[in-house]
Amino acid sequence: MRYVHLYFTCIKRSMISRLEYKKDTVVALFSFFFSNLCSLAAVYFILQAIPALAGYTLAEVGFFYGFSMLPISLDHLFSDEFWLVAYRRVKDGDMDMHFLRPVPVIFQIFAETFQPEGFGEMILGVALIAVCAGQLTVSLTVGALVVLCVGAVFGAVIITSLKVAIAALAFIFKRSGPLLQIIYNFSNYAKYPLAIYPFFIRTLLIFVLPFGLFISLPVDTLLTGAHDPWLLSLAIIGAAAVFFALALWIWTRCERRYESTGS
Amino acid sequence: MLKKYKPFLRAGAIDTMAYRFNILIWAGITVCEVACLVFLWLAVYRSGAGGMDAQIHGFSYREMISYVVLTTIFNFVTFNNDTLWNINTDIKKGTIGNYLIKPISYRGKFSATCLGSLLTMTVMFGLPFYTAALVTLGSLGFLPELSFPAFFAHLGLFLLAGLCAALLNDAISYIFGVLCFYTSSGWGLNSLKVTLISFLSGTLLPLAFFPAGLRELVSWMPFAGMSQNPILILMMKYDLAASLRCVALSAVWIVVLELLAKLLFSHAVRKVTVQGG
Repeated sequence: MRYVHLYFTCIKRSMISRLEYKKDTVVALFSFFFSNLCSLAAVYFILQAIPALAGYTLAEVGFFYGFSMLPISLDHLFSDEFWLVAYRRVKDGDMDMHFLRPVPVIFQIFAETFQPEGFGEMILGVALIAVCAGQLTVSLTVGALVVLCVGAVFGAVIITSLKVAIAALAFIFKRSGPLLQIIYNFSNYAKYPLAIYPFFIRTLLIFVLPFGLFISLPVDTLLTGAHDPWLLSLAIIGAAAVFFALALWIWTRCERRYESTGS
Repeated sequence: MLKKYKPFLRAGAIDTMAYRFNILIWAGITVCEVACLVFLWLAVYRSGAGGMDAQIHGFSYREMISYVVLTTIFNFVTFNNDTLWNINTDIKKGTIGNYLIKPISYRGKFSATCLGSLLTMTVMFGLPFYTAALVTLGSLGFLPELSFPAFFAHLGLFLLAGLCAALLNDAISYIFGVLCFYTSSGWGLNSLKVTLISFLSGTLLPLAFFPAGLRELVSWMPFAGMSQNPILILMMKYDLAASLRCVALSAVWIVVLELLAKLLFSHAVRKVTVQGG
């Protein structure tokens, strides 16, 4: 309870300090819409050149894309500060203050920023889903709905866990931002049906960097009924639990290695 | 005259070396990422109306795979640029004041650092990666076989185009960095810059896929010279005359952007507020 109160106090403070850079916030919002527009345009241009991608129509591929934005935006809302930890804060020795406070460091990092841009991403995703779903003729079953919700929420947990674990490596290597960026980029390849990939990439995207597990497979369940929704839901929740536990373990081990820059 | 920038050239090189472990991990995972991209494109070609061997927008699947592989190496080697962030930090921490009173140009410092980093990356990673990629792609028959003189002419022009690309990237980063004088924070500007470059330079997909009007417009902008054109020169998809034109266009843009940067900086520097220090 104390932590809930503390979280909201911190977030309020971070929002106030954010408002100090109004112009930057406007630029950030614009660039965020622009970047989503560009990636969507790229997918659209490619699909314009071919009749369908491995049997999936433009509307179906759009649905994959829109759905992928839900877990990504949820993660974006809460854990943006870890990017800074991975890229600069450890390298600059900027973390000292967190180690002096009587609250777990990892909690403080979560409470450092709340990114309202995530809502924009979520709205864009929902809009894209709605537009594409309008052109599809699939019947929405209870199972499919459940697995989509599970994929969005627990998918976000998995993304956050990956982020925490890799950001923690910065305590050892000083800078893990580029690595985090690359791992994060793999989510781009889960925005398509996994059927287009050969076996080893499917394995990678389901078991190692499981973006495909919570993005492609749930959408496939809805579009083609290829997987059992309940079993898949269980698998996603299980994976989320494992990744979260691993991330916490890695973080606690790595944070002991932090050294201040002494400047 | 240029001697005083030598320390920054060196610093750029050393700074790049310091993170070579990160760079190795990066290289390992990037191989997986390129594999994903390659199979994505293979799926696109397999789904094409004319079958696997048809061309899409003038690219066969062999050329597209070469393009993807070489673009990835190119971006890695050429764009190792912290200019925007360093300016942002100088503004935020007030260290910009130190540079304004020193007898070197603030702009020159970044160009020198950028060149040092480019040199290190090209020798340490570019040389082995490009060689491996060209040998592999070439022996698979994915690249055309020209005579030795033609190949080396293309290679020379490619290196020149790569140098232009790094300078263009540094100039654009610098301009966006100077814009931080007005916004006081670099987050939004940086992500705008990254998106702009990756979409308009042909990194995301070749400009041939764009609708005709947009394609024509973008081909006159500086961005195509930052990724697509150098790669198509290396792939020998452009003949020598077209390659020369690309390099010339980039060179003109470097001059234009540097002038723009100079104007912008002289306006922005009056806005400097050194925050405490």
